[in-house]
Order: sequence, then C-alpha cells, then structure tokens
Amino acid sequence: MEPVIQFKDVVKVYPLRAGDVTALSHISFEVERGEFISIMGPSGSGKSTLLNLMGCLDTPTSGDIFISGIGVRNMSDVELTNLRRDRIGFIFQYFNLFPLLNIVENVSFPQMLKSQKQVDEKKAVEVLRAVQLPDRLFTHTPLELSGGQQQRVAIARALVNDPDILLCDEPTGNLDSKTGASIMELMTDLHRRGSTIIVVTHDPHIAEYTDRTIRIVDGRIAE
Amino acid sequence: MTGIFWEISKRNIRIHMLRSSLAMLGIVIGVVAIASMGILGNSMTQSISASLSSVGDSVIVTPYAGSGGMGPGGGGGGSSSDMYLTDLNYQKIKRAVAPNVAIPIMSTSAHMKVGVGSDDIVASIYGLPTDDTKTLLPDLEAGDYSNGNSGCLVGSTFAKDHNIKVGSRISIGQDGEYGTLRVTGIIKERGMSFDISTDNALVVTKDWFENAFDRSDDELSEVVVKVTDGDTADVKTTIERQLNRNTKDKTVTVTDSKATLATIYETFGTVTTFVTAIGGISMLVAGVSIFNIMMMSVNERIKEIGIMRSIGTQKKEVMSMFIYEAAIIGIAGSAIGGALSLVGGYAISILMLKTTEYLFTVASMMSVVEGVSFGIVICLLCGIYPAWQAANLNPIDALRHE
Repeated sequence: MEPVIQFKDVVKVYPLRAGDVTALSHISFEVERGEFISIMGPSGSGKSTLLNLMGCLDTPTSGDIFISGIGVRNMSDVELTNLRRDRIGFIFQYFNLFPLLNIVENVSFPQMLKSQKQVDEKKAVEVLRAVQLPDRLFTHTPLELSGGQQQRVAIARALVNDPDILLCDEPTGNLDSKTGASIMELMTDLHRRGSTIIVVTHDPHIAEYTDRTIRIVDGRIAE
Repeated sequence: MTGIFWEISKRNIRIHMLRSSLAMLGIVIGVVAIASMGILGNSMTQSISASLSSVGDSVIVTPYAGSGGMGPGGGGGGSSSDMYLTDLNYQKIKRAVAPNVAIPIMSTSAHMKVGVGSDDIVASIYGLPTDDTKTLLPDLEAGDYSNGNSGCLVGSTFAKDHNIKVGSRISIGQDGEYGTLRVTGIIKERGMSFDISTDNALVVTKDWFENAFDRSDDELSEVVVKVTDGDTADVKTTIERQLNRNTKDKTVTVTDSKATLATIYETFGTVTTFVTAIGGISMLVAGVSIFNIMMMSVNERIKEIGIMRSIGTQKKEVMSMFIYEAAIIGIAGSAIGGALSLVGGYAISILMLKTTEYLFTVASMMSVVEGVSFGIVICLLCGIYPAWQAANLNPIDALRHE
C-alpha cells in the first residue's frame, strides 16, 4: 500500500532581505495509512514549515511531496486547495471555528465546499455525535461553547469529508490538562478506527499517545 | 455553493449593523442626490418642452436690429421694437418661401378696459390677416374666430386674469379712443413661443389694427413662416439669401425655431448633466466610505480567511463573500435611495417648478433607474479591490494573523 504522505529530499528556503533562511533541509520520510504520528521539536526547528508543507498550504523549494500518491510540487493554487479540501483535515490550537456560523453549519462547511451546494446536515450531526458533542449544542455558535467543546467541533469539521490525513497543530495547546487528555483520547479512538493522524506538538505527554515521533532539529530530522 | 457565502455575508452585515447602515446611508444620499437632480433636470426640460410645443416648425423674420431700417417716424437705427419690415420685404419673403405660408404680423401694446368701470390694463395687441389667424393659432379654448372687423381673440391667461368670456367687450385706449372689440374666442394656452406670445395678449384683424393704430403695410413687426414643405434651416437660408444680400447691410434677422429649440434643449441637457454630476460627487464619497468599510471588514477577518483557505475554500469563493457584502449594501442602499429620490424629486419639483406633472414620466423615472444602477455599480466597484485582496492573502500568513 502506498504511503499517505511521502517527503523526498524536501528543502524549504525562505528568501528574506537579510539573506535566505533554510527552514527545512533535505527532509525525507513516509507516513503510512492509519499511523498516529507526533512531530516534535523546539521553537524555530521547522515544525510549522513541515506542517504547512504536509497540509499543502505551501510548496517545497526542492524535493517532492506526495499526498496519497499525488505529487504536489507543481500543482496550481486551485489544485492545492482542492487537495486540502478533499484529502486533509486541519485541527488548530485555537479551534478556528467560524463565529458567524452555528455548530452544524461549521461542520457542514467543508462538505458544502466539496459538493458546491447546500448539503444534508445528517452527516455533520453524525460526526458531531461521534466526537461526543451533546445534541443540544448543535445550534449554538462557537463562542457559546467551552474550549474542549469547540475543539470537538473542530475535529468534527476536519473529519466530515473523510480525509486521508488529520493534521493537528498543538490540538491541546489551548486546553486545560483534563480537557486536553479527553481530546487526545478522542484522537486515539479515531486512530483505532483507521484515521491517519499527525500531531505537531512540543508537549511530550501528547507525543505519548502516538505510535511514532518525528523529531525536527534545525530543519532536519533528528534520528 | 453561493448559499453559505451569501449567508456569511448577510450575517457579517447584521453583526456590524451600525457600520453597514452608515455605509448604506452614504449610498442612499448619493442615489437621492443623483436621481433627484436628474428628475429636476428632466422635469425642467419637459416643462420647457411642453410650453414650446406650439412653436412647431416655424421661421421668424424680424427687422435687423443693426440696420437703418425704417422706424415709425421714418428714422433709422434704434432697437428692433421700433423698426418695421416693409410690404416689399414681406412680398420677397412670401415669394422666397412658397409654397410655405408667410404671415405678416403687426404688434403694439395699448391701454384697455374690460367692461364698464374696470381697471386700466396694458397688454399686447397683434394684428393678423383674417385668413392666416387660423393657421398661426389653430387651437381655441372657447368660442370661434372673428368674422368681422370688431371681433378679437384673447389669450387664455389674459382671459382668466380679467374674467373675460366669449362675448365680453374690451375698449381699447385709455378712453376707448381706438374703439371697442367683442371677444369671439379664447386662444388655448401656448406658453413661451418664438413667434407671438398670445397668452397675455389680444389678437385682432390686420385691417382693424391698421385703422386703429394708423399703420400701413410697410409697418410690419414680424413675418412668421409656417414651414410645411422642406426644412426650417433651408427656409432660413433662402430668406437670408434673398433679403440679406450684403453682409454689411442686413435687412432682416431670421430665427429658425427648430434650431433655437435644439439649442435650448442642449443647454438644459448640459444643466441636467451638471447638476447630476454634483450629485455624483456625493456618490463617489459614499463609494470611498464603502471601500473603507470593506477594507476594515477584510482586515478584521484575515484569520477567518486563512481558516477558510486552509480547509479548501477557493480564492474566487473568498472573493465572492466580500462582493456579496458590497452588493447587499449597494442594492439595499440604492433601493432605499431610489424610493427616497421620488420623495426628493417631488419636493424639488414642487419647490422649483410648482408642479409634479413631470415626476412620473419615463425620463424622470430613468433618472431614478440611473441613480440606483450607479449606486449598485459604485458599491460593487468599491468592493472588488478589498475582495481581491482578501482572496489573495497568503493562507499561512492569514492563519498566523492575530
């Protein structure tokens, strides 16, 4: 089976006035389908750049990246956007829900992007129940929910289009330890049901939930 | 897909209701200014047009003001009011314009009294050949044309002001020294005209005029040519060629009513455009306000745009969201402005023209349509750049935005 993510000798250089900054240097790794991986490293090590590249928000300076076997290096903005929409689910530290939409609408949003029309809310409700959000909150707006509840909604939004990969950027960074633990248990449960999850974190406790840890130091993978 | 972005735009306007309302108010003012000014301009043009409609296709020949034409005392020079065209001039004109009709007209002003013991009135009196009266004044409000020498027609305003009816008697002169006339008909209101202004005047037969005021055929005030065959401009040229052979020694001044009308319409058109343009300035100011508000909206929602882009929203979809917002403000503001401009147009028409007769005409309504369209277009144009900027934000930078 082909890897769900494949990095081949990836280099990312940011051209700045003061001189070029190499954020990632000759990175190569693979993530198999169904893996639960954490990416760790100190600040400025290149974690965020790696996450942006895996999430198709950016393209490499050199080297090749394959998402579910599809090379992204020469993709147009429209193609990269479609790839993000169809194959990647994002979970952010600050939840990043849309304050103008209610919970069900927030979760349905990626579905609407994909189908280009109004969608049945059945799937959104199903996913919200799967992340254990009480039904009574479905018509609330995000700001009426607690941090843990908001993150559950964000996870539901990431899952609604059945993505190949869930990319999580410090998913518990804005939660207390108890709520953070419950969110990680939810992730573990999703992993058990077959989801491929990549968590970027600086918290070793979070990394303990994962099968494998990739450590980044100075833009390189530390063995 | 339009649905969710349309919904987000609507909700964003709703949560920033004060800000959106102020932007809308700018558009409302702009539309009202443009449409009201347009209505006023069009109403003025139509009002003038209606009062000049009786002019028709005519060419008016008067004595040349700069010539040494013959005056009442036989002297030369002076203003055209005390100068006359001769019978020879008239015959030449008549021959030159045939088969069109040339009508010789005499005019003066005189004191008169309506009935016994009434106030002394001063009004214009025109003397026309009996046969030509019907040609020049085809519409009567009441009564009929005079058969005999002692009958006269009066203008509608004159009749109204002095309570004159068909059969009323008017004695001409301070002590009636020129005789008494019986009103046989009332001329329908003609408004402003280039040939003779009858609304406040009397029209008598040329014979009566000559007898009463001791005038001869060589003392014509003007000649009106009713052009039924050919073009007024050609007739004008023909008359000038015949009577003004020498550019230094002109005999007559020839006025083409059609050309004069065209000039008047052109002038009113320019005035309308000018006042509408002044209204347009307020619309431009409103546009700047919309632009500012849209830029604020984009800046406040950079993070939201970053999230949208990261989870798979295309640039064009982000752009549409902001365009919808501008469109909602533009359409709502323009619609309200359009409705209010009818009220504004009504008020201006009443204040300046004393009538709302021309408010609901096609031309006036077109001003409202133009104002509303301009409002919507300005809003959309002012929304394009902010929308484009939002769509082209780097998703990574937008996500990091605090």
